[in-house]
Amino acid sequence: MVKIEHKRARLVFRLGDLKLEWTIEPRYWRNHFIAIALLLLLILGLSGKPDLLSLITTANIYACIAIPLGWQITGTGRMNFGPQFFVGIGGFTAALASIYWGWNPWQSLVLTILVSLLFALLLSRLTVIAKGLYFSLITLLLPLIFLEFTNIFNRVFRGETGLSGIAHIIDVGDIGRNYLLGCLMSLGLMLVFLYVVDKVLRSRWGVYAAAINDNENVANMLGLNINRYKIVTFAMTSVMIGIAGWFAAHYFGTFAGVTYLPLQFMLKVLLVVMIGGRGEIYGCVVGAYFVALLEHFLTRIGPIHYILFPFILLLLLLALPEGLYGLYRRHRYKEYYPTLKVRKREI
Amino acid sequence: MTDTISIILIYTFILGSLYLLESLGFSLICGVLRVFHLGYGIAFVVTVYVTWMFMQERGFGLGWAILAMCAFQCLFTLLIVYYPIVRRYLEKEEILLTALLLVAMIGEEIVNYFYPVTAGVDLATGLLPGISKIGKASVPNQMLVAAGIALLTTAAFILFFLKTRVGLLMRAVSQDIKSAKLMGTNTERIYALAMVLSVIPPTICMLTIAPVYSIEPTLGWSLLQTAILVSILGGLGNLKGSIIAAYILGFVAALVSFAINPRLVNVASLMMVSLVLIFRPRGIGRSESLW
Amino acid sequence: MLLKIENVTKAFGAVKAVDGVSFDIHEGEIVGLIGPNGAGKTTLTNLISGVYKADDGKIDFLETNIVGLPPFKICHLGVSRTYQIPQPFPDLTAIANVVVAVLCGKHRANLSFGDALLEASHCLETVGLFGKRNVLAKDLTLFELRTLELARALATSPKLILIDEVMAGLNPVDGLRAVRLIRRLKEEYRLTILWIEHVMKVIMEASDRVEVLSYGKKIAEGPPKTVVDDPIVIEAYLGKKYAQSRKT
Repeated sequence: MVKIEHKRARLVFRLGDLKLEWTIEPRYWRNHFIAIALLLLLILGLSGKPDLLSLITTANIYACIAIPLGWQITGTGRMNFGPQFFVGIGGFTAALASIYWGWNPWQSLVLTILVSLLFALLLSRLTVIAKGLYFSLITLLLPLIFLEFTNIFNRVFRGETGLSGIAHIIDVGDIGRNYLLGCLMSLGLMLVFLYVVDKVLRSRWGVYAAAINDNENVANMLGLNINRYKIVTFAMTSVMIGIAGWFAAHYFGTFAGVTYLPLQFMLKVLLVVMIGGRGEIYGCVVGAYFVALLEHFLTRIGPIHYILFPFILLLLLLALPEGLYGLYRRHRYKEYYPTLKVRKREI
Repeated sequence: MTDTISIILIYTFILGSLYLLESLGFSLICGVLRVFHLGYGIAFVVTVYVTWMFMQERGFGLGWAILAMCAFQCLFTLLIVYYPIVRRYLEKEEILLTALLLVAMIGEEIVNYFYPVTAGVDLATGLLPGISKIGKASVPNQMLVAAGIALLTTAAFILFFLKTRVGLLMRAVSQDIKSAKLMGTNTERIYALAMVLSVIPPTICMLTIAPVYSIEPTLGWSLLQTAILVSILGGLGNLKGSIIAAYILGFVAALVSFAINPRLVNVASLMMVSLVLIFRPRGIGRSESLW
Repeated sequence: MLLKIENVTKAFGAVKAVDGVSFDIHEGEIVGLIGPNGAGKTTLTNLISGVYKADDGKIDFLETNIVGLPPFKICHLGVSRTYQIPQPFPDLTAIANVVVAVLCGKHRANLSFGDALLEASHCLETVGLFGKRNVLAKDLTLFELRTLELARALATSPKLILIDEVMAGLNPVDGLRAVRLIRRLKEEYRLTILWIEHVMKVIMEASDRVEVLSYGKKIAEGPPKTVVDDPIVIEAYLGKKYAQSRKT
């Protein structure tokens, strides 16, 4: 059924037309294996403590938002200061579908994808036309507009208190088991996102993203259809961020605009991207876990943690030019190190 | 009908002048340093709370407290905002914007720790108490004073830019920094001066509207939002455009408040600016330089 | 007839950068484009490669009208260019720069990433940059950047290359190497070249035909020796007084 061949240093699995190659040399998969195994052990070890499981899930959700954002920043060539807009869209779609229509999580997933895609395509013109700082400014304003709408249409969105009573992502009857399975699902979602974006960035579309980030006009001259690429990147990454919002809504059972839409949340996501490792997607995972754990453990110290949390993040941001992941990667030769661009300078 | 129109016009003038005062410093930084200072809100917070701190902890009188606060404001801007952050990361904008935002957040949390909303902070800087009636509109006198002071401050800044030598240098730096450097301008000093000048309008603004504005540690964010909207609409860093944009936004706010629904003011301003951005990305102003 | 330019005009505000220029380029030629500063040479190159849209006139490449086409479509048709100030992708390595061109330059079915890398290596080897293939483009010297530009332009399998002042800033030795390289590439890849240049020696040696622009208008064309002695051309470059003093 599945044919296995041994070619030089790889094993090639063939099933009909599909081909999957796996490198035998452990160097290529050893670190991934260890990391996934550690995370699985961590989650299974915490199976009795729902609050710590929620912490791990929060970290995974931060990573799920930051990973597509890293691709979007290089793929569109501009910094997006409002990724939480799509978190809001995804979350509210899931919440409204679940509460008012009684849909189960998988049905609301389909709706979330469709709605996120719709909004992404509507807004994708911005990546093409907005020059200079203006894309970043519009993305900065969008979540604030959304927040105002949730406050105005208070009966639907329950502006201040948020929507509650959303169906849990998985229901096996026992609440403890629910939390455990939900946490494992969040890990699965994050790994899927990581795999997809990594594969994309290692392929020719990753090279296109790097080319667009560095110099759009030259890439256009060389035959790359930059508008199409930017629109597709923006749409795909926004849908992925929307899915992260969907998961957050269904895992925590509540979704409030004031948690996910204001500047404070944007800052957290941005810091995950930057402290983790400046656009590097594996760094986003490290950054997400670091920020979530820091937030949780600082809460123990008392009210002073409100000051300490941004202060520590500021120190790390200024002290580590390559992010936390950069500490690990520093001794290895890095082939591509993107410069994050906020302002597009016209030639 | 004419009553509503007259009320709207009067409040356009008042709100527009206030918005102008709030965004003057922001436009200045955008125009001269080309930095989108997302931590601008901290200037407003520092004004109120540091004055209060000097009055409460040190027992200063109001006048001395204000002077001490001005000194603190200048030192804070230079030593914490400008030299460590803005100057080091002028080229790396993503770090710059995030760091400025973080500084504002840290400042707000420190203030919230010592003087939360329940502490009842209140500055008695009212110059003219009472309410006057202009036509059919009743306007707190302090707001008229604030609008007048806003116009005076803007006029002072415009005179400074047009008539003085340093103002000319600032305009030059904002138009083309390389040429300015070639002509021998000390751009470092101009930048530092611009940063210090940019905190003067927020200080004056907060001192004048403190009696009629709700004082809480998070007041910086809504004022920052107003400043951002005015700057974007007027063209980043363009003073002429900002003046026009402030009154346009004042008009929109007054119109929506009195003729439509007061709850929609924020969303109306946001949507209007977004639409303008989509169709005319440069904003109203002709160029991105200061004047 | 490879490229046919008819009466092309482009104005920026009140200034006419290119005013009614017409000429043809046939296959296999090296055509030099010269003229004093501000004559509109780079604007003409931008018009051909699609950065600007011509206000008036026709530009036909292989009998297809290319006015108004987006730049990437013009590249797919077979027009490629280099830049006066080299514009590589600074954060990418030299080979990655060329891989972008290989993958996007033309519609190529079934070109895998590995094959694209191989072809990029071949392009780099032809220009002599294979040793520096893993060096980031921001770390390369000026001559290497110029050759990288050439390699990138070649990788899109063009029929016509617009070369923009490749000699600027190079010392005579490097300049000679560049000219030799371009002639070799032209022979091996069967290219047609439109060469904008200020260094007269190169134009005299390398080009078959020369077009001269001044203030946006074409003032002369012909073999290099004829053009250089033409009094109108001398007047455009050096001024009326010098031209008159030459006559007498």
